[in-house]
Amino acid sequence: MEALNIFVKSIFIDNMIFAYFLGMCSYLAVSKTVKTAVGLGFAVIFVLGITVPINFLLENFVLAEGALTWVDESFATVDLSFLSFIMFIAVIASMVQLVEMVVEKFAPALYGALGIFLPLIAVNCAILGGSLFMQERQYTTIGDATVFGLGSGVGWLLAIVGIAAIREKIRYSNVPAPLRGLGITFIITGLMGIAFMAFMGIEL
Amino acid sequence: MAINKNSNAFTFTFAILMVIIVGATLSFAAISLKPRQVENAIQKEMISILSSVGVEANRDNASDLFYANIKERITLNHSGEVIANRQGKVDAQDADDPFNIDVQKEYRNPNMKPEDRSYPAYLAEVDGTELVVVPMVGKGLWGPIWGYVALKGDYNTIYGAVFSHKSETPGLGAEISEGFFQEPFEGKQIYDDSGNMVSVDVKKSGDTSSDPHAVDGITGGTITSVGVQEMMRRTFGVYDKYFQSKKANITELR
Amino acid sequence: MSTETLEEKLPEVAEVPKEPLFSSKNKRLLTDPLDDDNPITVQVLGICSALAITVQVQQAVVMALSVVFVMFFGNIIISVLRDIIPSRIRIIVQLVVVASLVILVNEILKAFLPDISERLSVFVGLIITNCIIMGRFEAFAMGNKVFPSALDGIGNAMGYAWILVAVAIAREVFGSGAISFPGIGQIKFIPDGFFEFGYANNNLMILPPMALIVVGIIIWVQRSRNTKLIEEN
Repeated sequence: MEALNIFVKSIFIDNMIFAYFLGMCSYLAVSKTVKTAVGLGFAVIFVLGITVPINFLLENFVLAEGALTWVDESFATVDLSFLSFIMFIAVIASMVQLVEMVVEKFAPALYGALGIFLPLIAVNCAILGGSLFMQERQYTTIGDATVFGLGSGVGWLLAIVGIAAIREKIRYSNVPAPLRGLGITFIITGLMGIAFMAFMGIEL
Repeated sequence: MAINKNSNAFTFTFAILMVIIVGATLSFAAISLKPRQVENAIQKEMISILSSVGVEANRDNASDLFYANIKERITLNHSGEVIANRQGKVDAQDADDPFNIDVQKEYRNPNMKPEDRSYPAYLAEVDGTELVVVPMVGKGLWGPIWGYVALKGDYNTIYGAVFSHKSETPGLGAEISEGFFQEPFEGKQIYDDSGNMVSVDVKKSGDTSSDPHAVDGITGGTITSVGVQEMMRRTFGVYDKYFQSKKANITELR
Repeated sequence: MSTETLEEKLPEVAEVPKEPLFSSKNKRLLTDPLDDDNPITVQVLGICSALAITVQVQQAVVMALSVVFVMFFGNIIISVLRDIIPSRIRIIVQLVVVASLVILVNEILKAFLPDISERLSVFVGLIITNCIIMGRFEAFAMGNKVFPSALDGIGNAMGYAWILVAVAIAREVFGSGAISFPGIGQIKFIPDGFFEFGYANNNLMILPPMALIVVGIIIWVQRSRNTKLIEEN
């Protein structure tokens, strides 16, 4: 129940794009066609689903205050949380590399579909954002953290596929010249965000 | 001597040196700024506690006002017995200081049963009135909610209440941190006439202004309202024994 | 949108031996990113961490200053080290430099501006993945001397900052009718008379989607003035 709650919330209410504008760079750059948007979207789900739980373990067994007590009781007052940014980004960068290698070796078909997007993802704000939100919201179990990671990814996929579909069609409309491209994309994203706000009042 | 910048040795040396320099700089910065950060966190908690007893404080005067109004800090165990008490200055190093007990952290910890948690309370004296402030935590719709409820010296009538939340829906559940929700708590009673703990209900509808044990809930924020109700009932349930013994004392003195 | 296009536009200052401190080239490093080569509206970099904190002017200003700090010192550090950074671990080194500077900023904010730091929450951390910063390290600081790199850092960060603050001003004025400044309190921008005639604050402005629409409008205005930036659909 708790997990379902987190899942729904991270897709519709705390949507990475519409509520926090995370991952906007790739969102704007790779949303010209639906096909590539879907590829990137799945890569984001995949990487968020892996890095958020790993960073959750890192946070709770290494970085947070008193997290090192499993090594020795005397570490109870050690607080390494100031290192969390650097550790999270390091985990993300290395996980993306690792995932890329593993996928290439064992699932060439998947690599064909996601491969070109994986390197792009290491610096996608949505990925680091996922880990930082996990830390800030203090999820209690690794299950919750994973569900949150996957949900955020699904929300991101929804957003990018939606905008890509609209951009494919908008080519046929007569947009004022200064708004073409970037400007209209921003405004449409804003309107989509307003539509997503309709989910805000839902209760489970 | 020419250094081969592409050799493994150079790369490794560079990486190791970088880690040492960065690590040292960051640790130094973190350690030297830590006392200020701890101080900020203490001030913030003081401001919340003070606002439940109706004292408006800001970061500059928080600690002065806190020490002037809060006389004693105590910790209860689950059966309502006092296990620690402190007076005077808050010591951030003292893990048993009631002020340093992080009720939210204990509540969230899945391995910590209600019996193992600590229950702090603050005994205050504001403008000659004796008050007791009870911190509480609970669950809203999307995340944790928490608050401080101040009771008058009869350990029954609510003097003031403040609530806050992490991620409730703006305009709905999030309204628990607004005055119009918190003010009706003032004057409500947590014991009924025969002395049973009934806490204060957060009612969905109807006029509650004449009911001493209920306030109006938030339209559209039902789950958050129920969360506040559950949080108060559960927390006062633990403090019940302590309040009862105090009340017995008062009657004896009379 | 990509680093290749950036490199073409860059003035080559690295090879010029002696030049005055503020030569026209150096001045362009400062002024170009403000308009023609603006990181947000033209290069489309670094939007991620930018918009969520534009609800209030004071948050936006603190965020903007943090980015200026990180860009300025980051560009200097990378430029100083550019000849000794092993090319194989170049990206990691850049990442470490940004991350450390951001940690410093975050710790300082937590110690001296705790309330604002709390409201900025994760967005200070997200400066790390702000594409402008890594983009400038890679495209400029790795190949240029310290002084031009420092100017480039300030220029780009300021280009980012003014958009951020402009969006925040628009949102706070139309959303709450007043801008609150720390220490001074709120300054009203909408005269009380307006409210008597039935003017109401537009609460939608405070909600996230409006940030995107405001940026869209800024882009519209900028491109109407500066027609060479118009895209071919």
